Amino acid sequence: MAVIEAAGLVKEYERGVRALNGIDLSVEEGEIFGFLGQNGSGKSTTIRILTTLLAPTAGAARIAGLDIRRDAGRVRERIGVALQEAGLDDLQTGAELLLLQGRLYGMGGARLRRRVAELLELVDLADDAKRPIRTYSGGMKRRLDLVSALIHAPSIVFLDEPTTGLDPIGREAIWRYIERLNQEDGVTFFLTTQYLEEADRLARRIAILDAGEIVAQGSPAELKAEIGTDVVTVQVAAPEDARRAAEVARGLAGVADVRVTENSAAVYVADGGAAVARIVRLLDDAAAPFASITLAQPTLDDVFLRATGYYLQVDDAGEKRAD
Amino acid sequence: MRTAGATYYLVLRALRESLRQPEVELPNLLIPLFFLAVIVGAINQIAPEAFGVTNYTGFQVPVAMAQAVAGVASVSGIVIVMDIERGYFDKLLLTPAPRIALVLSRLLADAVRSMVIAAVILPIGLAIGSPLETGVAGAVVLLLLMGAFGAAYSGIGMAISLRSGNPQAAQLGVLLFFPLLFLSPAFTPIEVFEPWMRAVAEVNPVTYLLGGMRSLILEGWDAAGLAYAVAAVAGLGAVTVTAAMFALRFRAR
Repeated sequence: MAVIEAAGLVKEYERGVRALNGIDLSVEEGEIFGFLGQNGSGKSTTIRILTTLLAPTAGAARIAGLDIRRDAGRVRERIGVALQEAGLDDLQTGAELLLLQGRLYGMGGARLRRRVAELLELVDLADDAKRPIRTYSGGMKRRLDLVSALIHAPSIVFLDEPTTGLDPIGREAIWRYIERLNQEDGVTFFLTTQYLEEADRLARRIAILDAGEIVAQGSPAELKAEIGTDVVTVQVAAPEDARRAAEVARGLAGVADVRVTENSAAVYVADGGAAVARIVRLLDDAAAPFASITLAQPTLDDVFLRATGYYLQVDDAGEKRAD
Repeated sequence: MRTAGATYYLVLRALRESLRQPEVELPNLLIPLFFLAVIVGAINQIAPEAFGVTNYTGFQVPVAMAQAVAGVASVSGIVIVMDIERGYFDKLLLTPAPRIALVLSRLLADAVRSMVIAAVILPIGLAIGSPLETGVAGAVVLLLLMGAFGAAYSGIGMAISLRSGNPQAAQLGVLLFFPLLFLSPAFTPIEVFEPWMRAVAEVNPVTYLLGGMRSLILEGWDAAGLAYAVAAVAGLGAVTVTAAMFALRFRAR
């Protein structure tokens, strides 16, 4: 049964900026659905619409069968949300924040206190529960924000880039919580991410968003299989060398597609093993310089490149850029 | 979650903020007391002869109280902008708590904080020579009036903050009080005003607020004066709270 459904979602901001251009999606109960895209592609706008924070310009969406416009209050009772910025009040302690959050969901008494203790334990914050949040590290804040979305045990959880800016250990910890909640409690997750490995590991299905439109959708395995070829990547030193290598590779029989990025040309070819030697020969014959050449099975990187025309990259601060 | 319950817990959160950062409230107390001291110090001697006010300290205590309350009630607008900036306001909007509770809780917390700061200034005023003709009952009415004014004034900062989400704009809540104060009989009786200024003062709610407070301090029970003060605060509140609710609708659309 689909618990998140959207049809023809459009969002136009003031001055005619169109952030979403007709989003259709359907997420099944108990699924982890990954939403991939670069900065400004419309991921956060989609999440803000689905969670009732923003009204769409056109289109419709239903959460757990409830219309996001007409039944916004009931939708909010059923969902948990952790947005991109950890939305916390620095003056409260971790325990106070969760208690208030629970009370705003109508919880109280011993049940709420037990739930708060359980969640703080889940994310290893029990010992820090009485400290002001302003003394927490970034990772601790992110974990607290995540469990604050779970206080009322929602069956559907929206996470907007839950691990952005975390170190690998913190990221792994969040992934484990998500997997555990999904497997043990059947929680449905809709998560946006800029990490392809995160989508690959967690998501049963993913959608790739580019300029407000879904350009690819399916399970990671299906999307990789759709490429249908091996990927030979020619690494070069300069952009003009990448274009030259691409021109040379296009002359090879059996090449399905060639995508050029700043420092590489990705050649999609049926028999990659045989193609490598031929590509090297052709590059030599054409005196086209290259630094290295690699052969691989398609990854989500390749799926993303194929779908959008650029690689999704993340720097240390969690900022994405398109090459 | 029903409105009363959500409002109650959010009021507790707002009051906890004040207790945890008392330094934020300190300027709201010290600046009006400073003005009270220097204005009384400068004008006290000439007040009886110049404009017939026999106890100028008592004439100025309501000004200090109203100024302090306006400062206190402007903090909520700034806190709301901070909540918006750090994403906490979105977290509150994402709960099923009725959205009116987000505004109501701030108004009520500001009413409490306003009464507390007024309760600090009033005895200081009495200690430096102000009378209180209506006694303890009058003091209670004064504090209630200040609580109501704090809630009404708080709506200005909240409306600006919710509409703009801008920290600089949020400061306007504090600054707006100065024209309201200077265009009222804050320092001299309205009878000595130039006609144009008198016309402006007569439509200024602060004029009636100060009139009601001064009657309690300097004259005794004056039903008409109090009724005007209550009506002025209620009118101001109706406008500012409506503006805040519209701004919240804009923010949460």
